[in-house]
Order: sequence, then C-alpha cells, then structure tokens
Amino acid sequence: MTAEWHVDSELREQYERGALEPSRLMAVEAHMLACAGCRGEIQVDITWLTGNFSVVYDNIHAPRIGPVQRLLARVGLPEHRWLLLTATPALRWSWLAATIAVLGLAIAGSLLSWSGDPGAASTLFLVLAPILPVIAVSGAYGPAVDPMHEITGTTPSAGPALVLWRAVAVISIATVMAAVAGLLMPGPGWLAAAGWLLPALLLCTGTLALATILSLPVAASVLGGLWLTGLLAVQQAQEEVFVPTLFGPSAQISYLAAAAVAAAVLFRRRSRFDLGESR
Amino acid sequence: MTTVTVSGLSKHYGARTALDSVDMTIDVGVTGLLGPNGAGKSTLLRCLATALAPDDGSIRVSGLDPAVPAQRTEVRRRIGYLPQNPGLYPNFTAYDLLDYVAVLKEITETRRRRAEVRRVLGEVELTDRAKTKVRKLSGGMRQRLGLAQALLGDPALVILDEPTVGLDPEQRMLFRALVSRLGERRTVLLSTHQTEDVGALCERVVVMSGGRVIFEGSPRELAGVAEGQVWLSEEPPKGSTAYWRNADGLYRTIGRQPAGAEATRPSIEDGYLLLLGAAAAAEVAR
Repeated sequence: MTAEWHVDSELREQYERGALEPSRLMAVEAHMLACAGCRGEIQVDITWLTGNFSVVYDNIHAPRIGPVQRLLARVGLPEHRWLLLTATPALRWSWLAATIAVLGLAIAGSLLSWSGDPGAASTLFLVLAPILPVIAVSGAYGPAVDPMHEITGTTPSAGPALVLWRAVAVISIATVMAAVAGLLMPGPGWLAAAGWLLPALLLCTGTLALATILSLPVAASVLGGLWLTGLLAVQQAQEEVFVPTLFGPSAQISYLAAAAVAAAVLFRRRSRFDLGESR
Repeated sequence: MTTVTVSGLSKHYGARTALDSVDMTIDVGVTGLLGPNGAGKSTLLRCLATALAPDDGSIRVSGLDPAVPAQRTEVRRRIGYLPQNPGLYPNFTAYDLLDYVAVLKEITETRRRRAEVRRVLGEVELTDRAKTKVRKLSGGMRQRLGLAQALLGDPALVILDEPTVGLDPEQRMLFRALVSRLGERRTVLLSTHQTEDVGALCERVVVMSGGRVIFEGSPRELAGVAEGQVWLSEEPPKGSTAYWRNADGLYRTIGRQPAGAEATRPSIEDGYLLLLGAAAAAEVAR
C-alpha cells in the first residue's frame, strides 16, 4: 500500500462493523497507524471505548489478590477491610517481627528440652509468649512505623477504629503462631498452650490503653519491660512455686480482671488515637 | 463562599509558640501561605488538615468544627492533604498506593474506587505510570502522586505543604499548572517560601512570621508594600546591608533611598522581605 492510498468509505464501513477478514483488517490498521486523516474518519463509540479501556487498564494495574486476601474474603471480611489490613506495610513488618520472635522462642525451647530440662523450656515459653502479641501490636500504628501516618491519620477512616482493626489483625496472627508453638512445647502442654493467653490479653489491652498517653512502641516497651521485671522479682523471691504463682488459677483471674480494667480505660480514652484530638 | 475560617488559633510546643492567635479566612481559589522556616506555616496547615489539635482558638471548614469528633470526620471527607514529607510507601505502585488511600477515604465500592484512581491519575498526568513503583518515580512525579492522593474523593479544600520544594524548573512548572487548574473550582491552600510560586499561582497571599499573620491580600498588594522603597544604583549603597547586584549590574536596595539611587518597581519578593524585616524589628523591640 502506498502513501497515496486511503481507506475508502466502503472499506471504512466494513472496518467499523468488524466485518473485515484478518488480512485486510491488518492492512487497514497498518495504514491507519501512519495516516491521521483516515484515523480521524473512523466513527468511534467513545462510551464503549472508554468503558473497555477502563476494564483493560484496571486489569493490568489493579492490585493482585493473594491467598491471604482470598482467605480473609472467604471468612466474610469486606474487601475494603482486608485491603486495608493486608496492604499496610507496617503490619507486614509487625507480623514478620512476631514470626521471628516465635521461631526464636521455639528454637530456645527445643535447645532447653534437648539439654534435659523440659520444665525450663515450658517456663521460658510461658514467660515470653505473652510478649509476642505486644511486639506485634507495637508496630501496628504510629509515625515511628508508618511513613504515611500523617496522610492516614487525616482520612475519614482514621482514629480509634483503624488502630483497633490493625491491632486485632496483628494480635490474632501472633496469638495463633504462639498457640501452635505452645502446643508443640514439651512439658505440661495445656499450661503452655493456654497459661500465657490471659497475660497476653492483659499486656495487649494494657499496651493499647497506655498508648493513649505514650506512643505505641514506647507503651509496648514499658509494659513488656514491667512484665519481665515483675517475673524476675517473683522468681527470685519464690523460685520453687514460680509457675503456680504466676500462671495458676488465682493469677489468671487477676490477669483477666486487670485486662478488663485496661479495656475499660482503652474504651474511655479511645479518642486519643485520633491525631486531631488534644493529648 | 468562605471555605475556611480561623479565629484566634494558637499552638505551643513546650515553651515555643508555633501559632500565636492566628485569624484568617480562605475562599475558593489558590491562596499562598508564605513565610520563612519556623514561621508556623506547617503547624497551621496540620491544624487545618486535622493532623494536629490547636491549644486555643477555632477552625471552621465549610462551617464544620474539627474539634468535635463527629464533625472532624466530616471535615476529613472534604479535605485533601499533602504533607511536607508524605512518606509514600516506596514499594507500592502508583495505582496500589492510590487504591489504598481511596479505601482510607471511604471509597469502598470497588468499581467506584477504581474509577476514582483512574481519574486522579489522569488529573496529575500519571496515567502511564500507574504500574511504576513509587521509589522509581522522579521527584516531580512523586509530588504529583502525592497530589493525586490528596485529590481522591474530590475534596473541596486541598492543603499542600511546600509541594514545590526540590523540584526542577520543568517539574515545578508542571506542578504549578496542575495546582492552578485545581484552584478553578476548589479552595487550595499552598504553603511555600518561594515568592515565585505565589506570583505565578495565587490570587491571595497570607504572610506569616513568628507564628503570626503579618499580611493578607493579593500578590499585587504584597508587592505594593515595598512601593517607593526599592532602589537601583550603579554603586553599592553605603551603610546598607540589604542589597544585591542584579543581572544588569545594578545594585538593588530595599528600604531607605541610597545616595544617587533611583526608585524601581517593587516585586512580590521585595514586599515580602520588607514585611519580614519589619516583623523581625518589631520582635526585637518587644
């Protein structure tokens, strides 16, 4: 085809109807690529074209849905909710930190078991497992962990609901991982699997309540440090009855009561998680 | 229509006063907020964007009070905010980032959200960069992406904190064109310490110094502050420190007339510098 040749009206009409056979279609399109005049003659349904372009564009560019998102969708979480939880980079780091901590704990427990002291492995687990969800929650929200905190904090979704959703997301994962590690621990399995849950609940709600005054990482460090210091003090005073004293039924009731108080404080002061609220 | 009204706004960081009883109103169009570093511009913008609670005074955005939690959420639905350091996630693609912010902006319905992402990408001329990761975008493109996230949800008030810092002249020109288009039907508040931005973009300018508003008016009125106080001379003026040699080899002085100097037409920068000098002198006198 020469530059002098142009698409005549009959050919154009066939092209617009989609009635051209492939070889002629290719020839017409090759010509139109080089000829603005013929291109301009083509009647285009802009609405149809824009609609198709949008679908193609979104298919190419929209975020891919992974197995975690599919799972969350299957358990009934709305798309915007799981998108928010799985897309936030800070939460990924949080989950990674919790995973590393669980692995570390599992390795330490195994080493203690192999050295012939399964009781020590179980105690180590009970002492450290409640801190895992706290580590996770410390990285869930705030300027220290989220570079887009100022943008996030000035959107309509910002505030206590967003903080709590993020906290619940990281706590759930850390708790499941720690529970699985607990069941695999040597020694009294039920104690390792369940004895740490209420202390963990207390530390998590306490951290969130304290985070209405301090930043989340600082609040987590303060409560995690207090937990370890307290345990060390009890261990030095009553080495023989350390586990029953701290993880027995009466201690568990105390943890539950303290967690309820922390939850009440958190509920009362929840608005402090909003950037626009006076601290 | 007045979009923003600020009355007696004050903010302190410990002993330092960042905002000192600021009063101002902002209407549709582009308003420039001009001032040196530490003048209180970012603090004022953060208060308006609901990222910071003031210690005293009141803000109204379209009649809504952001100090009231329920109204604050409504205010957030009406504002788009680009902070000085937006911290856009470097490993997100432009599309993913906007999709994420759109969810935060309560655009939860997938179709509508995607249409909105496409719209703002087009508005900042980044349609062909949707799949590019933020860390691979140039500084200017990153700023445009920052602007795009602010435009999600079609806010009535757009707050931009020093958006042209670090941009090369071409990128700055492109950014200015975008912002001027925004100002045709929205209220845009643009903080800067570059008088060229104000001259090129703004219908109104507010000058801040030491946490106070020291001027409100048009860019022409700001230049007018220096009327009869800007001089050109062939020799360096004696006894004056505020002068510089311009491209024509003449010495430009702001303030008192040096011997042998002739008056010249003042620029926005002249007015601004004169205001800052007067504000600094008043501060010393206090």
